Amino acid sequence: MRADLSPAAEAVPGGSRTGQTLMGLAALGVAGVLAWGAAGLPSDAGYAGVGPDFLPWVVTVALAVCGALLLWEARTGGFRHMEIPSGAARGDWPAFAWVSAGVLGNAALITSIGFVLSCALCFALAVRGLRLSEGKPAGGALQAVRDAVTGIVIAAPTYWMFTKVLAVNLPGLTASGWI
Amino acid sequence: MDIFNQLLGGFATAATPINLLWALAGCALGTAIGVLPGLGPAVTVAMLLPITGQVEPTASMIFFAGIYYGAMYGGSTTSILLNTPGETGTMVTALEGFKMAKSGRAGAALATSAIGSFVAGTIATVLVTLFAPLLADFAVQLGPPEYFCLMLLAFTTVSAVLGQSSLRGLTALFLGLAMGLVGIDQITGQVRYTGGVLEFMDGIEVVLVAVGLFAVTEALYNALYEGRNPSTLNRMTRAHMTRTEWRRSWPAWLRGTAIGFPFGTIPAGGSEIPTFLSYATERKLAAPEHQAEFGGAGAIEGVAGPEAANNAAVTATLVPLLTLGIPTSVTAAILLSALQNYGIQAGPQLFQTSSTLVWALIASLYIGNVMLLVLNLPMVGLWVKLLRIPRAPLYAGILIFATVGVYGMRQSAFDLFLMYGLSLAGIAMRRFDFPIAPVIVGLILGPLAEAHLRNAIAIGEGSWLVFFQRPMSATLLAAVALVLITPRALAWHRRA
Repeated sequence: MRADLSPAAEAVPGGSRTGQTLMGLAALGVAGVLAWGAAGLPSDAGYAGVGPDFLPWVVTVALAVCGALLLWEARTGGFRHMEIPSGAARGDWPAFAWVSAGVLGNAALITSIGFVLSCALCFALAVRGLRLSEGKPAGGALQAVRDAVTGIVIAAPTYWMFTKVLAVNLPGLTASGWI
Repeated sequence: MDIFNQLLGGFATAATPINLLWALAGCALGTAIGVLPGLGPAVTVAMLLPITGQVEPTASMIFFAGIYYGAMYGGSTTSILLNTPGETGTMVTALEGFKMAKSGRAGAALATSAIGSFVAGTIATVLVTLFAPLLADFAVQLGPPEYFCLMLLAFTTVSAVLGQSSLRGLTALFLGLAMGLVGIDQITGQVRYTGGVLEFMDGIEVVLVAVGLFAVTEALYNALYEGRNPSTLNRMTRAHMTRTEWRRSWPAWLRGTAIGFPFGTIPAGGSEIPTFLSYATERKLAAPEHQAEFGGAGAIEGVAGPEAANNAAVTATLVPLLTLGIPTSVTAAILLSALQNYGIQAGPQLFQTSSTLVWALIASLYIGNVMLLVLNLPMVGLWVKLLRIPRAPLYAGILIFATVGVYGMRQSAFDLFLMYGLSLAGIAMRRFDFPIAPVIVGLILGPLAEAHLRNAIAIGEGSWLVFFQRPMSATLLAAVALVLITPRALAWHRRA
């Protein structure tokens, strides 16, 4: 049943031994955090039989075991029964950075500049990254303006529909309710 | 006759103009997101969860259910015309459907999948109508020990049976359970795992996790890895079937329904297994003169059967959801959390306490299936146009809707940062073939399971033996053990 990970398999996405080892370590790390948190919880069970620290300890131990097994699999020939993930073997990190900037910028600015503008910015940055990932030119200033306008054209009606019709609370730049 | 009267009452509620409009909106939106790559029904419903603050429960459940099965109709269109399936449940449809479309029979493939979905969906709805109330009557007798064991069974099947590796599935499940622990413990009021962060006091929102792990992950993953993936669109032909194609389709529809329905009702994680089973069955049973079409020019049975199985399974997930409060798919789990937002506890009492809602929902399934047949057969050309939206603005646009869902739920920018963090984890999980479904199911069912566990032990006066002393819970525990052991025993047997 052992997955045969020859050097060629290392080039397969998801086949990276280092990456798999890191996944195992990450699971162990989460277990560590859980254990640290569980240690501070009272175990007083009362009528309930088990206290509020019971499930935290169960999850901690289980994740630690899973992490250890993942680590063992990664070091002994790689994860078993791997389905090769879709997409290229190497990541397009510049494209990823553009999309990330969009999401993070949106999170940072949404309360100060309002939903519509913040989401338009997110859209413009993300669409630029996605276009780059396709190998197309990202475009100059004119394209950036066009993307921002497209973003507003999508975000503004969305904002109106959710705030005015469905009464979902989203932040605006002004108190007018339109932007 | 009692059921019949209640169903009539349901139709009276579901057929009010406003509810019909919600059903239509749900079906249309569902079809659209089914056709579009990148968004599934689960994450769409999750993004729309903030509307539960305003819209009344019956209308929003009709809307959400419409999205759920509308996505299955729409997903098959993408599977047939594009070489990427729209939804996981329609993956099998792509096997034969794409080949049929390639050899110029796209119309027949689309017709058999739409009509098959309608037939299966309607039969399954009849079965739900008949059996759900019976099961609810029976389920009233279940106590906390049985519920805990049922949830244990759901955890086991969703993480250990589905996906390639039980180990990675279980890791995902425990990650979900860990996230479910954050916040105030329901029974003792103890604060757990907040790290002093105020935003964590109310726990981690399901919307945030679902949107982060599905929608934002999808956008980032696409930019990172899938930019150069070529995709080819098959040419549309008129949706139409010849007499022979009808004759070949209908037995496959019925067999698909028979396979799909039972799988939807048990916690075995949705529609992947039944669709594959149905495909294998059709391949085996096909007439000798049609055998060559499988994997070649595309066999219509291979589209008809799995499509029917898929829709029957999706409809059947409502049985455990409404009668036991146990979700058997990710979308069902999100529907459960929608009910929780209204303070409605899904379970056998639902048929008494919220009978208007339940019966209106069931009636809306009948209506929705008719709507979807119309939306997907004469109007299929309209949806196909959606496939021409370029990839870049599509995924960037998804990010805007993700913001609506996550920010709209709690009005906290902190949640948007957390969403980004989760999407990074989502990319790693997808790259290394960890399933996402167990995370969501663990997150939603975890707190419920913990409450049932404590109540059960309180019933047993502090003794764990309570789980073995009650026949139902002992049986369920045996089922859990069986689910965990059988695949390993089989593998060991094969090797030996």
